[in-house]
Amino acid sequence: MNLLEVQDVTMRFGGLIAVNDLSLNIGKGQILGLIGPNGAGKSTAFNCVAGLYNPTAGKIIFDGEDVTGQKPWDLCKKGLARTFQIVKPFASMTVLDNVTVGAFAITDRRDLARKKAMEVLELLDMADKRNALPGALTIADRKRLEIARALATDPKLLLLDEVMAGLRPTEVDDVIEIIRKLRDRGMTIFVIEHIMRAIMALSDEIVVIHFGKKICRGKPEQVAQDENVIKAYLGENYGTA
Amino acid sequence: MTQQNFKRNCLIAATLAAFALPLVVRSATYLHILIILYLYAYMTTTWNLVGGFAGVLPLGHAVFVGIGAYTSTVLWLQYGVTPWIGMLAGGVLAGAVGFLIGKPTLKMRGAYFALSTMAFVEGIRVMVENIDMLGPFNLNGPRGLNIPPLAHGEVNFWAFQFATKEPYYYIILTMLVGVLFLTWAISRSKMGFYLKGGGEEPDAAQALGVNVARYKVMAMVLSSFLTAMAGTFLAQLTLFIYPKSVLTLDLSFELAFIALIGGRGSIAGPIIGALLLRPVTEFSRIYFSSTLPGLHLIILGVVLIVVMLFQPRGLTEPLTNFFNSIARRFDASAREERK
Repeated sequence: MNLLEVQDVTMRFGGLIAVNDLSLNIGKGQILGLIGPNGAGKSTAFNCVAGLYNPTAGKIIFDGEDVTGQKPWDLCKKGLARTFQIVKPFASMTVLDNVTVGAFAITDRRDLARKKAMEVLELLDMADKRNALPGALTIADRKRLEIARALATDPKLLLLDEVMAGLRPTEVDDVIEIIRKLRDRGMTIFVIEHIMRAIMALSDEIVVIHFGKKICRGKPEQVAQDENVIKAYLGENYGTA
Repeated sequence: MTQQNFKRNCLIAATLAAFALPLVVRSATYLHILIILYLYAYMTTTWNLVGGFAGVLPLGHAVFVGIGAYTSTVLWLQYGVTPWIGMLAGGVLAGAVGFLIGKPTLKMRGAYFALSTMAFVEGIRVMVENIDMLGPFNLNGPRGLNIPPLAHGEVNFWAFQFATKEPYYYIILTMLVGVLFLTWAISRSKMGFYLKGGGEEPDAAQALGVNVARYKVMAMVLSSFLTAMAGTFLAQLTLFIYPKSVLTLDLSFELAFIALIGGRGSIAGPIIGALLLRPVTEFSRIYFSSTLPGLHLIILGVVLIVVMLFQPRGLTEPLTNFFNSIARRFDASAREERK
């Protein structure tokens, strides 16, 4: 059973086609990686799924329901949460308060929201930083805060937009560990990532897009050897040179 | 005594002192200055629900003061309805207007929202100045409305007129304490978290399930309702309202100045701002109103620039830190004693 189905989605900005007739699906409990060169349309595809953009054409089915064009806050209540590539913490609120905002998606009561927020922070080993302001955190912790806020909404599907970009190798390993932990808890995860090592290690399947079009889909090892993928990343003449 | 207890006791002591103040301050003039001070603290607190927590800059809140003042006064003069009910009617009307203004404008970002609220207050003022009769209601154009004072024997609670200043003092103080409590409760609730988050990072908040625009409109409606109640109070206090007294940009700006200087988005900010700035306004009006009218706005502007340069989050932050350090010291010395 597919939790998310993207059917023939096209997103056009004026004359630019950012996403061109993209289809993909994610089964429950799966981790799907989305990769592609810079400007390939990964984030745009994500934004279409998350409700930030209303796709020009195509359908998005989440948990058996057509959610095309629904607003981000409604999608969040249905169990779809996301992080942003450029972190957007609430700067004047403490780490705990930041996560509490997310937790209010599942409850109206402050004490329950607080409790949920603490659980999430403990899961991500951030409980000791709960009273810090986001400005005082390292990049790694700010990225982790993005994940924590999204998790507090109790999502069925988590969209992670480059949560490892800019991290040191050991920090990348920590995030991989976290994502595995979430998968083991039964969460479905859709990842955009540039760090190949991470996406190869995590993904059950990988979709590669280039100029908004899907050029390959398969297991990590298949994708790594696919001719089209190598061309997209390394140029047309790589094989003949 | 823990820090928490110390702070709570300070708060209770300050509230009790405020209620006991008329026992000491017998002069009607000083009581009047205090009443106006509380009124501004009240209006700034209600302004703060939108301007502080929701993170936008409304510069037209005088519209709601005007609606409150005119509604209760018209109802009293033409239909003999007690201003207490007029106060609620004005609030409801202002809430509806707040909804109509907020619905389209709160989607705009930054300066555009501020500009559209300014345009609105000016538009309404010009209209009221040029309308004598609005349907069956007599607004009396630029001449304003005069509430005939009742004779000393006739004044009573339902007429919202009193022979001395004390009742006004207690009414506005109760309103202020009530609205502060409401703000405190909201700031701890889901609505408070959603407003603050939506004000700071709307995209992130939306992704976390916050319908940012809807929460801002809710805050706007609540703020308009409560601000209009202050308008009724002002009308009953001065017994004379005209467009340039209650429907002005001056008043709208002053509320924003007080909040910005005191500390936007904090509960104590409007109180601290009003305590510091109202005397400036009051005394510049007493001494310079004939030679330099409007001087208080220049002074407020200069103070605002200085505060924004050195304390961009307002004066509440350094004062809170100072107070906390006292509370901590108190805590530490208490611990010493126990040893």
